[in-house]
This record gives sequence, structure tokens and C-alpha cells, in this order.
Amino acid sequence: MSRRTKTRPIQRFSRQIIISHWWNATAFFILYLSGLPLYTEWFDFLYVFFGGPENARLVHRVFAVVICLPIVFMLLFDRKGFFHWIKSIFTWSKRDIQFLLAFPKEFFGRNPKYPPQDFYNGGEKLNSLLQILCIGMLVISGFIMWLPDFFPQFLVRWAFPMHNIGFGLAAAVVVGHIYLSIGHPNSRVSMQGMTKGYVPEWYAEEHHGKWYEELKEQERKKQGAETQDAQGKQAVSQ
Amino acid sequence: MPEYIKFVDVTKCDGCRACMVACKNWNDLPVATEEYSGSIQSHEKVNAYTWNVITYTEHETADGGFEWLFRHQSCLHCVEAACEKACPEDAISHTEFGSVVVDHDKCVGCGYCVQNCIFDVIELATYKDKNGKEYRKAQKCTLCTDRLEQGLLPACVRACHSGCLQYGKKEEILAEAEKRLEKVKERFPNANIYNPPGINGSATVYLLAEKPSVYGLPEDPKLPASLTLWKDYLRPASKALMGVTLTAVLGAVIANARNKGPEEQEGGQDNQ
Amino acid sequence: MVIGANPAENHPISFRWIQKALDKGATLISVDPRYTRTSQMANIYAQLRSGTDIAFIGGMINYVLQNELYPKDYVVHYTNAAHIVAETYSFDDGLFSGYDPETRSYDKSQWAFETDENGNIKRDPTLQHPRCVFQLLKKHYSRYDVDTVCNVTGTDKETYLKICEIYGSTGRMDKAGTILYAMGGTQHTVGSQNIRAYAILQMLLGNIGIQGGGVNALRGESNVQGSTDFALLYHDTPGYMGMPTTVDPTYEDFLNRITPKSGFKTNFPKFFTSLLKCYYGDNARPDNEFGYQFHPKITNGKNYSFLRMFDAMYRGEIEGLLLFGSNPVIGGANTYKLQEALGNLKWMVAVDLFETETSAFWQKAAGKDPASVQTEVIFLPACSSYEKEGSVTNSGRWMQYRWQAIKPKGESKPDLEIVHMLARRLKDLYKNEDTPAARPINALYWNYGDSDHPDIDLVCREINGYEWETKKQVSGFGELKDDGSTACGNWIYSGFYPGDENLAKRRDNKDTGMGNFLNWAYAWPANRRVIYNRASADPTGKPWSKDRIGIYWDEAQGKWVGNDVPDFVATKGPDDPTFNDPFIMQPDGKGAIFSAAMNEGPFPEHYEPYENPIKNVFSSVNLNPAVQLGDKALNTAGDISKYPIIATTYRVSEHWQSGIMTRNVPWLAELMPYMYVEISEELAKEKGIKPKDEVIISTARGEIKAYAMITKRFKPYKINGKTFHHIGMPWHYGYKGIATGEIANRLTPHIGDANSTIPEYKAFLCDIRRA
Repeated sequence: MSRRTKTRPIQRFSRQIIISHWWNATAFFILYLSGLPLYTEWFDFLYVFFGGPENARLVHRVFAVVICLPIVFMLLFDRKGFFHWIKSIFTWSKRDIQFLLAFPKEFFGRNPKYPPQDFYNGGEKLNSLLQILCIGMLVISGFIMWLPDFFPQFLVRWAFPMHNIGFGLAAAVVVGHIYLSIGHPNSRVSMQGMTKGYVPEWYAEEHHGKWYEELKEQERKKQGAETQDAQGKQAVSQ
Repeated sequence: MPEYIKFVDVTKCDGCRACMVACKNWNDLPVATEEYSGSIQSHEKVNAYTWNVITYTEHETADGGFEWLFRHQSCLHCVEAACEKACPEDAISHTEFGSVVVDHDKCVGCGYCVQNCIFDVIELATYKDKNGKEYRKAQKCTLCTDRLEQGLLPACVRACHSGCLQYGKKEEILAEAEKRLEKVKERFPNANIYNPPGINGSATVYLLAEKPSVYGLPEDPKLPASLTLWKDYLRPASKALMGVTLTAVLGAVIANARNKGPEEQEGGQDNQ
Repeated sequence: MVIGANPAENHPISFRWIQKALDKGATLISVDPRYTRTSQMANIYAQLRSGTDIAFIGGMINYVLQNELYPKDYVVHYTNAAHIVAETYSFDDGLFSGYDPETRSYDKSQWAFETDENGNIKRDPTLQHPRCVFQLLKKHYSRYDVDTVCNVTGTDKETYLKICEIYGSTGRMDKAGTILYAMGGTQHTVGSQNIRAYAILQMLLGNIGIQGGGVNALRGESNVQGSTDFALLYHDTPGYMGMPTTVDPTYEDFLNRITPKSGFKTNFPKFFTSLLKCYYGDNARPDNEFGYQFHPKITNGKNYSFLRMFDAMYRGEIEGLLLFGSNPVIGGANTYKLQEALGNLKWMVAVDLFETETSAFWQKAAGKDPASVQTEVIFLPACSSYEKEGSVTNSGRWMQYRWQAIKPKGESKPDLEIVHMLARRLKDLYKNEDTPAARPINALYWNYGDSDHPDIDLVCREINGYEWETKKQVSGFGELKDDGSTACGNWIYSGFYPGDENLAKRRDNKDTGMGNFLNWAYAWPANRRVIYNRASADPTGKPWSKDRIGIYWDEAQGKWVGNDVPDFVATKGPDDPTFNDPFIMQPDGKGAIFSAAMNEGPFPEHYEPYENPIKNVFSSVNLNPAVQLGDKALNTAGDISKYPIIATTYRVSEHWQSGIMTRNVPWLAELMPYMYVEISEELAKEKGIKPKDEVIISTARGEIKAYAMITKRFKPYKINGKTFHHIGMPWHYGYKGIATGEIANRLTPHIGDANSTIPEYKAFLCDIRRA
């Protein structure tokens, strides 16, 4: 199979994006762990890791602030990457829908067909949107729950179910996200993109066909320009 | 439904506040002096360290009369208690006496109960552990469950000299209450028995001299919709969702076990 | 009717019983300058300008007379309404006959009754004689018509008439009305006459001597009754027998003065001799006037009361002061001056549970420079009532014994022990001296134990009385003798410890009939629960009403029986000429509607307070003409032009007296932490005072700062066509303790009642402004 032989690394994610991603992931994980025992007594055993409920609440609040920072970081240090991401996930076309329709089959081991995908495929776009929505809900409702004296009572009361919805949904999506990134045979190769910053060429071609085309187009242009340059130089030197 | 109730007949209360001191005394509660309120009322409302408060309301009646209304404000011990429902740690429960109590071993001081109580009763108290570190626990009137267990009357009831506070069998007390209601209606036409149906009743029942809103009480209290949504639907759904998600992933793992990862697939001759 | 009192606030346990009466259908009337918690529990509330009780009650007396609501038989037979008054009596423009403006006192002999040739008082049972007490009463109070009264008191006319009607209906002998009063009645320059007015109204309505009637004092302190019984007041001795003065050089002189020709008080020689015997023991013998010469004598006519004592202290005439549970800097009147007066003392001994504002008067916190105060202050810690044993006598004259619940903390001691230790040391100090000062102390018989810890049982036995030789306890005052063979510390209590059982310790709570719990504790005299209960039966000895049986004459048994111990000779039957004389302490056995005993006159007459907002409407005499003015340095008065607001003082449930005990209890301090003044919404608006503002209240004697409590419960008063504002404040606060605040009594005037000299705390003038 020739496609799998194209192992040239393609740059996918910047260092800043990688830092932000793991920053978010770590914060989310700690928020989840510190939040679970506060949510239900099923998970009270987790208090031990934090040294008691008061500490767990403190850690939760600290990391609640921590999880708000990557956005700032991105805006400061990789605006291009940030807005590329934002633009991409809000741009939807038929190929994204078709991906989503085909996704369940792929999740459970089949190999359905779907059109070439953008830099972010339909699923990744959906994941990003959901995470933004959920983190947004969580941060707003969490902030209200943190400082109840500053808000009217009905708002505080509705913050509880909102926080629940937020993290319930986020957690479900994250579980899927983690599985896909380290478990699912088809997608786990993408992990490299979020650690080393690049993915193998064949992967880019297979999973993000449209992006691959755009890259190839750019390369061609570049080569063309280089050739012209070389020819120009040749012409001059002749 | 509770078999026994604490009954507060405000028309007999003369505002002496013996019940406030009796409660502090029995429960060893610390002093929580507030700023001058503008009236003789000592505390704006019940709080973590003051489990009952006598409220004083100067009320001008519809026919130009004047009433100085006294009410012994304390936890209602709702049959459907918002605090109990709101607690994520299962720390609040009903006892055999119908009283709603907080288990301090389970309470983590999150304050969800405080935000959801329809009557603004329960609050968080701050304690210091042996290392000087602060922690919080929710607390409120316990209906002197520890005294009830010994066959004693609640401290406030015991201290009340005017017969305003009573504790006894629910049917008997409510039957007498109806008679008393008829009697006081002559002077207090808006008198009513406050045993809110929207929360399925309470273990502390009032005979009020005026409409509940005059005393700052909700006219028809019910559990907040947000609370019911969260505790009765969202939380169980989320717990289920966790299970579903894990199952799905497990299923996917199994389903994909047959498939090998692309880097492991055979063939792979370089065709370039 | 509750007037000048606020039992829901200040006597909450008494209110328990009032509540029970309400549950049974009783009507509660609350008459007060402001709407109190008692007013809330009441069926009727009437606003009364502080200091106008006599107008209010005078109007009710007038109403009862005009509408003939009085029970004729009771009034004719049991009171002196039918007595004919001598022609020397007259009343004109606020003054009775016999007034001497120089001494501000009356020649009371002008208020005598007309007597026949045998010396018996002339009577007219038809009550028609123009000079019979009844007609004079009618004439006197005809000036107290409803409009005039309401104009002076500021009461709403409709409410006033309703009260007259409802209370007047207790004139029926099957109904009873009781009057409950407290300091709001007594703490005025006309205080004693206020209470007299209540008494006259009650006698007129046949409410004395019957169950559910009476003029009932709600005390400022739980043992006031016990205190006055044991002669806390300077002008008396234990058992109310008067005090030897400089015009009683011999014992015989004294006895002649205090013993009337008839009536129960003819027994006084027996009681006083027995008292002397217990003071001086074997040093009281027939051959030395029973030790009468050892007994202190006060200067005739001199006033040693609290007000005059501080006058003297201010002038530097007093060297030392012993204060037992007393805090004059908070509880006195015009206390800026009192504090100054204290600085003139050489020494002060203060006995109290906590350091008081008075015992600390020399401290910086009191505004003094300690270096400038020369007074030596010794503080002796006292223990509380729960840490000691002894009795307390309540308003119903019940002597209730109490036991020690816990041992005294630290070095604190019961008062009894402190006095005992003092007496022992004094005796020891003077034992080798033979000076006039030493002799009474050496003669003193102090028989309460040989150690510093007294045996209180010995004190009890002595109070009851015993035969001197055999030391056998007497069973009542009837066994006391005037020959020195008996000793008795207080005849009115005689009988509470007849054998070996201290009856004051009894706690049998079975109702023996009509709410008389005859086996609960011991009521003086002789366990009689309703005083003058002979009046509960009609002139034939039958109960007035079968629903209200006190005592009645049982012909078959030849004695008085019923639900109470007869306050009458038990075997006195219909053939005795004094059969219809229930008021046994009066010489003629009749209720004194007309009385020459008071300093102002035989009938209460309305006079304005010392600081009067209006000129007296009833006469041209503004101030009670018999009031003594005292030292000019302390009796500063303010004028209405500068101080236009009427003020009064009162108490709250949470604090007690000068607040020294309660302001040191954290939970009580929490309930009432701040000094405040209650003002009407109208006054607040006028002065621009907002809720929670601090205000300054000023009088001619000084100013204080407090929080403003704006309330609907004070309303402006319409007095004689003009609008006046009325305010009030609690007087419990001082600079010591947990809850502190400025001292209300810095504002009150240093002037007192014409009979008791109790200060006029309750009615004065002030002004108020935002702080």
C-alpha cells in the first residue's frame, strides 16, 4: 500500500497550541477529580487525594481560574493559530455533516466512507464547539456558585443544574476524545500531532484530505516560485 | 408525614425571647451580635449561630388599626426539604421525629443547602480544627432531636411561658389549632395556619396572625424548579451518562480489537 | 387593667398567668405612653401622657360615680364613704385646707372626721350628707370630666370611654377587676397618689378583698416586698411599725405615737418589744425600756432617702457609703451630679457581682482622672441568688424559700455572710469600749453561729419568733407579748416557722380553691392570700357571688371558712360590732377612700410633673405642693421652651435594673446590645432622623447619645390644643460590661415623690437632635 509509506512529517500544531491543549486537559482533569466528590457522595473517597473537602474546594477554585488562562495565553502568543481554530470550527459544510453521520460506524470498528475533511474534521469541530459551550457554562455557573452573595438567589439556584449539565456533557465528550486519541486504531495516530506537533503524511492525506490538498497546493506554488527563482538565477548567471 | 409537630401560635407570643436564649444555651451556640437594626429585633434572620429569632413587625392593618406582630422564626423542618434535596453528600436527612438534621460527619460545607432553602434558614458556620485551619459546616435548628430522643421537649418549647410554643401529637395539636384559629379570627381576620402543602407540610407548623407575606414568609412555597431538575433528573441522568459513556468506549475497544492500527497493518510496500 | 407597667416585657412569668386569664375570657387593658408588648397582648390600648395617671383614674372615678356603677352595699359598709368629714376640711384651686407654703406641708389635723360626743366618727349610710366622704369625692372628681381628662392625658376619647365602661362593669360583685402597676405609676412626684387613686377606684368598685381584685404591684426587683417588709426604707422598722425619732425620747413616747386607739395596730407594743428583744437579747429588759435607748433614732422630720442622701453627699456631709447591690450612677437620677457627689466620700464599700459603674466611678472609663479622686473604694464580691439560700417575697406576699444550686464562685459570698462577718468584726472591735457609739454594738444580740459562716436557719427561727426562756417557736404573732418574754424579728412573718417546719419551703402545688395554693410556701400575714378578704362576703357574711368565694361566715361552725385563711378574727360573728370592718389595719376597719395619711391631701389631685409641658389645667398649682425640692445644686429643672419633648424611661426583658448582671451575660448582651431611644415617625421626620441614626438627647441636666429607634408605637400627643412629642428610652446601659451605652439617668430630674421620695424618673422634658 503506497499511501502508508508516506511517512514524511507534516506540521500540524504549534508549540503554543500544544501547551494550551495540555494545560486545559490537566486543569480539566483536576477539576473533574476535585469536583466529583462535591457532586455526589459516591466519590467521597477522592477527598483523600486532596486532604479533605476544604482543600478539594480550594483546588477546584484554583484550577477553575487556571482553566480560564489558556485563552489568554493563545491570544498573547499564537493569535494566528487561535483564530485559525475559531474560524475553522465555525465553518461548516456538507462534508462535516457527512463525517458526523458516518462517525458512529467508524467508532465501532467499521470503515465507512466520507468526503475529505478539513484541518479539523467534522467530529473535531463538534468536539471543540461542545467543549467551548461546556467550559463556558461551567465557568459562568461555577463563578456564580463561588460567589453566591454577589448574585440574585434564583441565578445561584439555576447555576447548580447548569454546572451539572456543563460538566456532564463535557465529561462524556472528553471520555470519547481520550479514547479516540489513544485507543481507537484509526485515530490514535493523531496523538503525535498533540505531542510532537506533526502527523505522518499518509495520515494527513487519509484523515484530512482537503487540508492535505491545500498543503500540496501550497508546496507546488512554493516549488514553482523556487524554480522560477532558480531559473532566474540561472538566467542571470548565464 | 410527621407524627409529632412543633406548633407556634404567634397570637400567644409576647416577644420575650426566652426561646432564643434557651436554644443558645442548650446548643452551646456562640454569640453573634449584629449591628443596630433600627428596631428591638436582635438578628436580621436566623443564621448559623442563632437558630431561632423573634421577629418584630409593626403592621398597620387594613382598617387603620395597629398590630405589633411577633414571630418565632426557626427552621420549618419541611417534609420536602430543599436543603435535604440540595445536599450532594447525602448529609441532610429526616429523623424519626420528622426533624431535618445535618450530619456533620458528612457535611463538607459546600453551601448548596444554604442557596436552596426556600425560607433562608440554614447557613454555614465556620470552625477551626486543631491546626487552626478553618472549615465550614451547615447548621440550623435541630428541633432538639437530641432532647426528643431522651423524651424531653425541645429547649425553646420548654422555655416558652405563654403557651405559644407547643410540641405534641400532630392530630391533637392541629385540631386545637383550628379551634384557636376560629377564636383569633375576630381580632385577626387574616389569621391562618401555615403548614405549606407545596412542600407536603412541615414539622414546625405556625398559626399566623396575618398573611404569610407580612412576616416575610412565602405565600405558597414549593421546592425550586432548578433543584428538582438538578437532583431528580440531571444528576441521576449524568450518573447514568457516565456509565453509558464508559460502556460505549468499552464496546468500541472490543469492536476495534480485531482491527490493527494503521502502523501495524501488513503490506506496506513502498510504492513510490 | 395594666397602667404604668409592662408585664409582658418586665414580668414575663407573671404574664404567663395573665395569658391564662386571657384564654379564659378576661379583658386586658393596657394604658401606657407608648404601645408596648403588653399592649399588643391586650384587648384595649390607651395612650397616656406620662405623669397624668391621676387625671386618667380621676376621670374613671367620676365616670363610676356619675353612672352609679359602684356596689352600694360594699361602699357603704366596707369603706369610709359614709364618714362625715370635719368642717375644717376644704379644697380650693389645687390646695387642701391647712397648707403652709414655707414648709411645703399640710396641717393634716384639718382633714379629720366629725366625731360625736363619745369620739365616734359620724356617718351617713345614705351617702347624702354634703360633707360625707362620698359627696366630697363626687364633688372633687366632678372636675375630671372626660373631655378635660383626655385633653390632659392625650388619650383618644372613644377609647377612654370604652375603658371606663368595661372597667366600670367590674363594680358588679360577681365580677372582679385588678389593677397591675409598676414604676410607671410610682416614679413620679405624685407617685404615691397615683397608687392611692388606683386604690380608691378599686374600693369604689368593690374590688378589694375579693379574689381577682386588688391593687397589685409588679415589683422592680423580685424581693422588693421582702425588702420593705424588713425596713429597707429609712422611715420604718421591720413589720412597718414606724421608726423611733428624736421626738420619742422614751420607749413609752414612741409606743404612744405609733399605737392607735383602736384596730389591729393596737398590738404594736407586743410586736415592737419582741423586735427589741431579738435585737438586744438579755440586754432588753423591762428595767431598761427593753434596750430602746440602744436603738438608732432619726431626726424628726428629716428625710434620709436616696435623693437627700446624695444631696448631703454632694455637700460633703457623708464620709462613707456601703452599697449592697446598688449602682446609683446608672439607677439614680441626675447621675452626672451623683458621680460628682461620690467623689466627696472618704470611703466606699461596694458589694456586687461585677464591677459596677458606681464602684468604678473613679476610673478613666467614667470620665474621671483617677489621681484626682480621694475616695478609697473597697469591692467585696457578692454571689448571685443561685449560689445562696434564703427567701424571696413576691407581690402576693408569698415568702418562697430558695436553695443553693451551686457554690459561690471564687471568693464571692452571700450578703448574709458579708453582713454577719461585718457584725462579728464590729462587735470584736468595740468589745472593750464603753462609749455611746460602742454601747449599742456591745448590746447587740448576734446569735447566728460562731464562725464567719452564719446559720441561716437560726435567722429564720428568729424572724418567726420564739419564747425567750424556752426558745420554743411561736405559731403566730398572736402569741407575741409586750413583756419581753418573746422575741420576734418581724411580726408579719410570724407563723412561717411554727415548729420545726419552715413553711416557706413548702411546694404543694394543689389548688386548694379559687387559685389559692394555701400549701405552697407561706404568705404573710398568717398565710392569708387575699388581704382584707372579709370583704369577699356581704354584710351578712354570705359570699357576694357564688362563683367567687373567698371566705364566708359559717353559722353552724361559728367561724369564717372558705378558700382562704380569714384576714379577720376567725370567730368574729354577726353580733360583733366590728363584723363589717374588713380593713383591719385601719383604726376604724373601713377602707380609706378619704385618708389623712398622705402628705398631699385626702384625695389624689392631678399636678403636673416637675418639668411640666403645660400649665396645670385642673388648678393654678403646677407642681405637687407637698414635694420637697431638695438641694438646689442637684434639682435643676428645664423649661418647656428649651426642652419641648416629653420623655420617659423604662425597661426591657433582656436587661435588668442597672444592667450590671445582664449586660455581662453574653447571650443577653447579644439580644439588646445598644442604648436607644424610641421616637415617633412624625418626630423623626421633623428632625430629619433616619432609621439607625445616632441622636443626642438633651435635658437641663446634660445630654447623652443613643441610637434612634423610629417606631409607630409612639404617636404625637394632643395636649390642651397643642401637639407634643413623647419619647422613651431604656435606662439599663452604662460603660461597664459587654453591652455598653450611655446612661439614661444622666437626664432624669433629682426630685421625688412627696411621700416616698422616689425620684421622678418617668416624666421629664428634653430635646433631641441628630448626632
